[in-house]
Amino acid sequence: MSRHRARRGDPLPAAAPSARGRIATWRGQHAWSLHASLQRLAAHPVGTALTLTVMGFALALPLAFYLALGNLQRFGAALGESQAISVFLKPGLGAAAVAGLASDLRARADVAVVATRTPQQGLAELSAMQGFGPGLAALADNPLPYVLVVTPRAGLDARAGQALVTALRALPAADRVQDNSAWRGRLDALLTLGRRVVLLLGALLALAALLVVGNSVRQDIQAHAEEIAVMQLVGASPGFVRRPYLYAGICYGFGSGVVAVALVLLLELALTGPVATLAAAWGGGLRFAGLAPALLLAVPFAAALLGWLGARIAGARHLTAVEPH
Amino acid sequence: MPARAGLAATLAHAMLPASPEPAAPVIRLDQVSKRYPGGHEALSQLSFELGAGEMAFVTGHSGAGKSTLLKLLGLLERPSHGAVMVGGVNLGSVRRSGIPRLRRQVGMVFQDHRLLMDRSVFANVELPLVVAGVPPAERGKRVRAALEKVGLLAHEKKSPPALSAGEQQRVGIARAIVGKPPLLIADEPTGNLDPQLAVEIMGLFVEFQQVGATVLVATHDLFLIKRMRKRVIVLDHGRLVDDVAAAEVV
Repeated sequence: MSRHRARRGDPLPAAAPSARGRIATWRGQHAWSLHASLQRLAAHPVGTALTLTVMGFALALPLAFYLALGNLQRFGAALGESQAISVFLKPGLGAAAVAGLASDLRARADVAVVATRTPQQGLAELSAMQGFGPGLAALADNPLPYVLVVTPRAGLDARAGQALVTALRALPAADRVQDNSAWRGRLDALLTLGRRVVLLLGALLALAALLVVGNSVRQDIQAHAEEIAVMQLVGASPGFVRRPYLYAGICYGFGSGVVAVALVLLLELALTGPVATLAAAWGGGLRFAGLAPALLLAVPFAAALLGWLGARIAGARHLTAVEPH
Repeated sequence: MPARAGLAATLAHAMLPASPEPAAPVIRLDQVSKRYPGGHEALSQLSFELGAGEMAFVTGHSGAGKSTLLKLLGLLERPSHGAVMVGGVNLGSVRRSGIPRLRRQVGMVFQDHRLLMDRSVFANVELPLVVAGVPPAERGKRVRAALEKVGLLAHEKKSPPALSAGEQQRVGIARAIVGKPPLLIADEPTGNLDPQLAVEIMGLFVEFQQVGATVLVATHDLFLIKRMRKRVIVLDHGRLVDDVAAAEVV
C-alpha cells in the first residue's frame, strides 16, 4: 500500500501529470539514451567497426547465396522455357527424307513445333563461337548431321513427355535424342536443396550475428559497471539503465545491415559483367538480376531488430549482475 | 496525517521548517539488525529517530556499522530484522521496482565520490535529473544552481580527474542536492580531505539543513563533530551507545 502511495506526488517534475508532459519526458529520456549510446560507440571506433564488419559479413553471406540462387533459378527457367528435344539424325540422310520425317512428327498430337536445322546452319553457329572458327575451316567437308528440334505441346505432363522421348528414340533415322527436360528436373531438385541450405545458413548466421551483438553489449556493460552502479544509486529505473545498451544493439544491427547491403551491392557490381558474358555464350536473353530493392531496404531494419534482441538478452543476463543491491 | 500520506508528501511536508505541528520523523529505525551472509552482525537492535529538518552525525570506530546504516537508508541493503522507516514509509514494503523512486528522494554522498570520470562535471551533476525525467532546459538551470552552491560553477566543463579531491567531493554533493531531495545522507564525506577542506564541506551540509533538508552524516572525525555542534549518534559494534543532543556537544 505504502509502496503504491510512494509512486505519487514526486516533488521532482518527473511525475508531470499531463499526458503531453509525460510524452515530453519520455522523449527527452530516449534522446538522452540514444545520445549516450552513440557517444559510446564513437568513443571506441575500432571496436565498433570490427563488430559492424563481423556482423555485416555474417548477414551478407546468406544474402549472397540468396542472390546466386535467384539467378540460377532464373537461368534454369529461361533454359527450360524451350523444353525442346533435339533429335540428331543419322549422317548421310538426305534433305527430302528429313523434310518427310519432320512433317510426320508435326502430325503427332503431342508435338507443337518441329524445326529443322541443316548441317550448314550448325556449322555457321559453331564458327560464330569463339575458338571454333579456324578448326572448322580446316575440315574438308561438313561432318554435322541434320537436327530436328521438337517442341512438345504445351501442358504435356512428365509421363507423356517421356513417352514422346521414347518414341523419338525409336525412330530408325534418329542417331541420338537429347532431352533437356531431364536436365531441367535435376536443376529443379538442386535449386530446392539450395533454397533449404540458404534458409538454414541464414538462420545460423543470424544466430551468429545475435551472439556478436550480445557479446559486444556484454563487454559494454562490463566496461560501464561503475557508471551503471552510479545511475542506480541516483534512482535510475532498470529500464532507464538498460536503454542505452538497447540503443547500442539497434545501432550495431542497423549498421551491420548497411554493411551487408553494401557488400552484396559490391558483389552484384563485380558479377554483372562476367555473368552477362556467360549468358551471351549460352544464347543470350539472360541478364544478371540483383536483389529486390525492397529486400535490400528491409535488411538494415531486420538487422536492427536482431541487434535489439541480442542487446536485450545480454542486458537481462548481465545488468542484474552489477546492481548494488 | 503523516502516517497516511505518501513518502514524497511527507518528505515535502518535512521540508517546511516552520511547521505548526510537530513534524513526523524523517528517519525512524525500530530494533534494526543487519547480519551479513557469513555471520557478521553489522547492526544489532538499533533504534533512533531523526526529525524533519534535523541534522545529525553518526560516529564510531570503523566497523561500528555507520556505512551499513546509511546503506539501509538508501536501500542498498535490507535489514535482517526490524523496520527502517523513511518519510513514514516502511522500506521493507518497498519492492524492487519501487527502489529507484525512493532513491530519488534521498541524496547520497560517498567518501569515494562515485563520479563518472569520463563525463564532465555538468553531466555528473545532471544525472539524477535525467534519471528523474526533468526537461533539458530545466536541467541546465538546476545543475548550475547546484554547482554555484558548492562553488564550482566555473568548472562545469571540466572532467572530475582535473579537479582536486575537495572539488570532486563538492561535485558529489552538488549531484546529491540537485534533485532537491528532502533527505541527504553522507558516508565519510570528508574522509580524504585535509581539516580545512573538511570544515568547508561540512559547512555545506549545515547550509542544506538550514534550508530545510534533513541531513545524516557518518564520520569518525571527532574534531569536526565537536566543531559543528549537531546531534551525535554513537555506534559501537552495531549498537547505539550514545545519542548526544546538539546542545550537549562540547
